[in-house]
Amino acid sequence: MAGIVPEQWSAAENGNATMTAKGSSRELRYGGRTAHSMSSSSLRKKSDLRVIQKVPYKGLKDFLSNLQEVILGTKLAILFPAIPAAIIGTYCGFSQPWIFGLSLLGLTPLAERVSFLTEQLAFYTGPTLGGLLNATCGNATELIIAILALTNHKVAVVKYSLLGSILSNLLLVLGTSLFCGGIKNLQREQRFDRKQADVNFFLLLMGLLCHLLPMLFGYVATGETSADLIADMSLNLSRASSIVMLISYIAYLVFQLFTHRQLFDAQDQDDAYNDDVTEEETAVIGFWSGFVWLVGMTLVIALLSEYVVATIEDASESWGLSVSFISIILLPIVGNAAEHAGAIIFAFKNKLDISLGVALGSATQIGLFVVPLTIIVAWIIGINMDLNFNLLETGSLALSIIITAFTLQDGTSHYMKGLVLLLCYIIIAICFFVDKLPQKQPNVIHLGHQVMNNVAAAVGEGVFSS
Amino acid sequence: MGSIAEPWGISTESENANATPKGLSRELRHGKTAHNMSSSSLRKKSDLRLIQKVPCKTLKNVLSNLQEVILGTKLTVLFLAIPLAVIADYYHYGRPLIFGLSLIGLTPLAERVSFLTEQLAFYTGPTVGGLLNATCGNATELIIAILALAHNKVAVVKYSLLGSILSNLLLVLGSSLFCGGIANIRRDQRFDRKQADVNFFLLLMGLLCHLLPLLLKYAATGEASTSLINKMSLSLSRTSSIVMLIAYIAYLIFQLWTHRQLFEAQEDDEDDAYNDEVTVEETPVIGFWSGFAWLAGMTLVIALLSEYVVATIEDASDSWGLSVSFISIILLPIVGNAAEHAGAIIFAFKNKLDISLGVALGSATQISLFVVPLSVIVAWIMGIKMDLNFNILETSCLALAIIITAFTLQDGTSHYMKGLVLVLCYVIIAACFFVDQIPQPKGTGLGMQPKNSVGGGFVSA
Repeated sequence: MAGIVPEQWSAAENGNATMTAKGSSRELRYGGRTAHSMSSSSLRKKSDLRVIQKVPYKGLKDFLSNLQEVILGTKLAILFPAIPAAIIGTYCGFSQPWIFGLSLLGLTPLAERVSFLTEQLAFYTGPTLGGLLNATCGNATELIIAILALTNHKVAVVKYSLLGSILSNLLLVLGTSLFCGGIKNLQREQRFDRKQADVNFFLLLMGLLCHLLPMLFGYVATGETSADLIADMSLNLSRASSIVMLISYIAYLVFQLFTHRQLFDAQDQDDAYNDDVTEEETAVIGFWSGFVWLVGMTLVIALLSEYVVATIEDASESWGLSVSFISIILLPIVGNAAEHAGAIIFAFKNKLDISLGVALGSATQIGLFVVPLTIIVAWIIGINMDLNFNLLETGSLALSIIITAFTLQDGTSHYMKGLVLLLCYIIIAICFFVDKLPQKQPNVIHLGHQVMNNVAAAVGEGVFSS
Repeated sequence: MGSIAEPWGISTESENANATPKGLSRELRHGKTAHNMSSSSLRKKSDLRLIQKVPCKTLKNVLSNLQEVILGTKLTVLFLAIPLAVIADYYHYGRPLIFGLSLIGLTPLAERVSFLTEQLAFYTGPTVGGLLNATCGNATELIIAILALAHNKVAVVKYSLLGSILSNLLLVLGSSLFCGGIANIRRDQRFDRKQADVNFFLLLMGLLCHLLPLLLKYAATGEASTSLINKMSLSLSRTSSIVMLIAYIAYLIFQLWTHRQLFEAQEDDEDDAYNDEVTVEETPVIGFWSGFAWLAGMTLVIALLSEYVVATIEDASDSWGLSVSFISIILLPIVGNAAEHAGAIIFAFKNKLDISLGVALGSATQISLFVVPLSVIVAWIMGIKMDLNFNILETSCLALAIIITAFTLQDGTSHYMKGLVLVLCYVIIAACFFVDQIPQPKGTGLGMQPKNSVGGGFVSA
């Protein structure tokens, strides 16, 4: 379909944009396009459909062009072979670290493709539903990994990977974007709209509160309180907080998609932007085929995530890296690679609003949607997972949020801001690299509910003795 | 050199300043930063008439040189404390007395080092001058830290550096904003918040580096052995120190080359009062080599006095009934920063908040991201296990001080209430360390423990 439109960057679109009033935005018209999906779209490439046009049989032709759009429509297509390699590796009994590495590589393009497909579906479902779809599937990879790790009772991996995702979005993605953007546009003023960023920070700070309170429970309790009681209180608090967090996320969606849409559309107003990001304005695949693809992709992601979760300890042992380092640093770097690249590309073009939208939006989504959803899923399947990240992790999260919030206070940017964020990420990475505390390991190994409680008790007591 | 009879003259310099375009600033030309502008407010005219009568030319030069360096500050009278301290040490007077005299002697020296680096900057050009300033700006703190390290008093090092940051952020800034607010109660007090922001990112980054080793220790449960925790904390601190130094280098590049205009915002309001006040000495009053020799000599004297301070701090603590932590965190920095402090207040009175902020925040950033990591690395070279783990009380004071100050400076305006709150915060922190008689940190402070256990820092097993 898209092949028929040879000039996707066409001037017609610009004319169209200028005709519409500023208030009614492109995001509204073209199906829930958020900064997030715009960023991923920068990794896409035009697929050349000429070869396929020669295929005589129409059904086959359609099928092939569809396949080409989905599989080859990204610059990351080269990483797709890692998926079959990972599957073959499992059956041929490759060493576990290899499977881990291959699965991680395979997840990278899939994350980008899911974002592409949700965007395609949004053309058919209309903007609001599209926005909702995006808000849910935007971090599908993280969600699926989290739920699979939960079913394997690896609560620590779940917590670490979600925390790592927030940290990587706040410090790494944002830091490299601001740094590269700052170096590239050294002589120009780099401005962004801070209102949008502020909304994200309120929500992130609220999420931080939800993590902080259960943790403080463990510290305020005196010796007389039994560890069981503390674990119980912390669990109840976490579950209630999760529901509150989901409510705030829904409110955030209402705020973003209905009542205050103009806050999130600030970037629409300059022309250069229109040229760059309005690449695909018509749907290139049909609704049902898009839907089928999405389901298929999700299954493949689930398969690869299963491999990742199953082999993470082996990879940790053979590479000599702690599970916490792999989950907090490596997993999110791979999972966010596509968004990361997109955010940097937009920062180079001095479109900081989009870069910020990607990084902060993603962090908020994980902090206020994926995390509480995981807690509730754990509740449903009967696992005692609370919001109490450890002290070190919560401390890192708190300072990351505060530093980033301060950095973005004045609505301008320069490379020093990006560099400081990046260096903070490096320091946190070093911290988890040297962190070889044995106490976290028991959480990771297969454990029943009863044992989990005991571990919580041990952790609780350890706090008092230190 | 000595022949400039009117150093405060409005004649040449203000015309000169008006003639230059805004972009090419005074700071660029003479490597003058807010830091030494502030110190320069303590300088006074030296009256060279007496010396002009000396017949021999060489002697005349030596004398005028001496007069410029020794008598060129309003703090000259404190120089007397230096020989007294040396004499007191020689005749073994009471050690608390030596401590007090050394502290007093350090005050004018800190100002003079800043004066000499500024003089050298006239010869080396702006960039090298800026670098020199960025390195020697807190020379006293650095020398005290290194000498305390050599005595294996890791706690004193940590306390004095932390105290320096706290005193700059809360006391110097607070009293400047307060006095400025009272003096200019009817006027709008504005400053450029971009410059302040840069300092806060860096301070927050420094805070992260202090927080992580601390949390690492608390996160460990009974199973983790103390030596393992210490090892982790130490390797984390050393790597973080390298990252902090990288950040400081980037900050210098940012400040001296790529974004110089941010730090020159105060030049833009070309009001005349400013030009009159700060362009005190626009030509060097001493020669390059004599300045260099003076700088080396001063550094040696500072080292000598610091040596006394470090050696006698526990005795002073015992006989005055104050804890070592209180002396290191509160008293040492007040004395070490006295010159800058006075300067910052004077500029605040004149409603030049940008300069006051530049002094206080620039100094805090310099200590946090240059002196602290450098101390850790020097300790590493000397084989001392010093990490970035300040104790929990100290780290939280630092964290709250940074956050309160950052919030205070968010809107680019000031009033006396802001300054008052900051000063009161400082008083509260000082009260906290005054009542803090917990013996545990003192153990390391006394330097009695073997080298290996010092790495444990405050949280001993």
